Amino acid sequence: MDTQICGKMITKTKVGIIDYGAGNLGSIYNAIKYLNAPTEIISSPKNIDQFSHLILPGVGSFGTLSLNLKKKNWPDEIKKFIKKGKSLLGVCVGMQLLFEQSDESIGSTGLSLIKGTFQVFNETNNLPLPHIGFNEVIHNKTPIWKGIENNSPFYFIHSFKITKTNDDVVTSKTTYGDDFISFVEKDNVFGSQFHPEKSHYVGLKLLKNFLELQN
Amino acid sequence: MIKKRIIFALLYQDGYFYLSRNFKLQKVGNLKWLINNFGFGKTSNHIDELICLLVKKNPTQEDKEVFFKDINELRKKIFIPLTLGGGIRNFKDISNYFENGADKILLNTALYEENLSKEIAQIYGEQSISLMIDYQSNENNIDKIFINCGLEYKMVLSEFFIKMKNIKFGEIIFNSIENDGTGNGLDLRILRKIPEDWKKKPILLMGGAGKPEHIAEGLKNDDVSGIITANLFNFLGKGLEESRNMSIKQKIKLANFSSELIL
Repeated sequence: MDTQICGKMITKTKVGIIDYGAGNLGSIYNAIKYLNAPTEIISSPKNIDQFSHLILPGVGSFGTLSLNLKKKNWPDEIKKFIKKGKSLLGVCVGMQLLFEQSDESIGSTGLSLIKGTFQVFNETNNLPLPHIGFNEVIHNKTPIWKGIENNSPFYFIHSFKITKTNDDVVTSKTTYGDDFISFVEKDNVFGSQFHPEKSHYVGLKLLKNFLELQN
Repeated sequence: MIKKRIIFALLYQDGYFYLSRNFKLQKVGNLKWLINNFGFGKTSNHIDELICLLVKKNPTQEDKEVFFKDINELRKKIFIPLTLGGGIRNFKDISNYFENGADKILLNTALYEENLSKEIAQIYGEQSISLMIDYQSNENNIDKIFINCGLEYKMVLSEFFIKMKNIKFGEIIFNSIENDGTGNGLDLRILRKIPEDWKKKPILLMGGAGKPEHIAEGLKNDDVSGIITANLFNFLGKGLEESRNMSIKQKIKLANFSSELIL
């Protein structure tokens, strides 16, 4: 990628990428490094105070990952982290885990930071499932979307989606048969159903905006 | 709405990338050569996804480590979806492939291992699994599936659709051995052989694309979610960009990747 990027180190920013057995962390790690922000992959919540931002990536099943998070006491530590005003970004299953439940794994619970349950896509739409590929995101022009055109394509790869949450949550919309929520913001908690680290330049731009929010 | 996908596949063995024609491999160059001669970093601007396949029959663990080393170098500056495959034989392989950069893993020879796809789906989700079917028709128009780099006959395609009903996966790729590397175009006829219930998952075609027209033609088909080409000579350089532009001109829905964006 031969684009112009900000050469300066984003000061005071340090990103913790949570390793909880959710598959490939390398892509998020490479993306944050490309953006010149100090970052570390962390497998335990010890010393998360040193970070300004946390990213909860996610490739895997809701049930397995929810269990993994609880094993290391991540839920409590993440909640403390957010209370301090620091920012959290959940990606894909990481976004699912911000919510309460998912039909993917009945009986498992997420972090319950945002109200709602994930459900499978409506099969009567006759569209191939899972939802795999680039699709358009209609956003609300909040600061995290700075410099990103509306209807920009981001990469999705998922079988479950959420359509309803509470009113105080800012949501972005994508259509695949039905409309569903592709991005959420609640104060300093963000969730993206798509993979910004897989979405070319707009993805990197979104990540950069996320890192710059707390300056 | 969802966009269609143009995917490039890199064929790899022992430190080198290869061209393939009817599954016979021809060495082209190593990673350094790839990046220098074809400006690979720029190519990623014009494709939706990248597949990297270890195309060695019965690869050893060492072969896989060499593969991973080059993949890790390659993906440092590419922020697009990556599928890794070739050489996956059992569940132990799976975490290695994911840890070395796979967003999706590709099952070909191993897809017939009972329960493997279920195990993978349970931990990583079924959307992380791409199935690849390498096939060739005989004189009676019967499509036969081959595994292990096309060296072993497995079963006829019609049998596959019945026997493998319970397999867990995200998308399926049909790769024509006959058309592979010929540049004569894709085998669109295979789409008529796919039963309706198998069309509930994304279908991708591979094998035979030689020019942008082939890719556009394939993508126009309602049953096709994406086209894959491994044709290094014809497509790296300007070919993928032209394929994308031509397809968009023909009103095929493809994502527009803005390369002007200043971060």
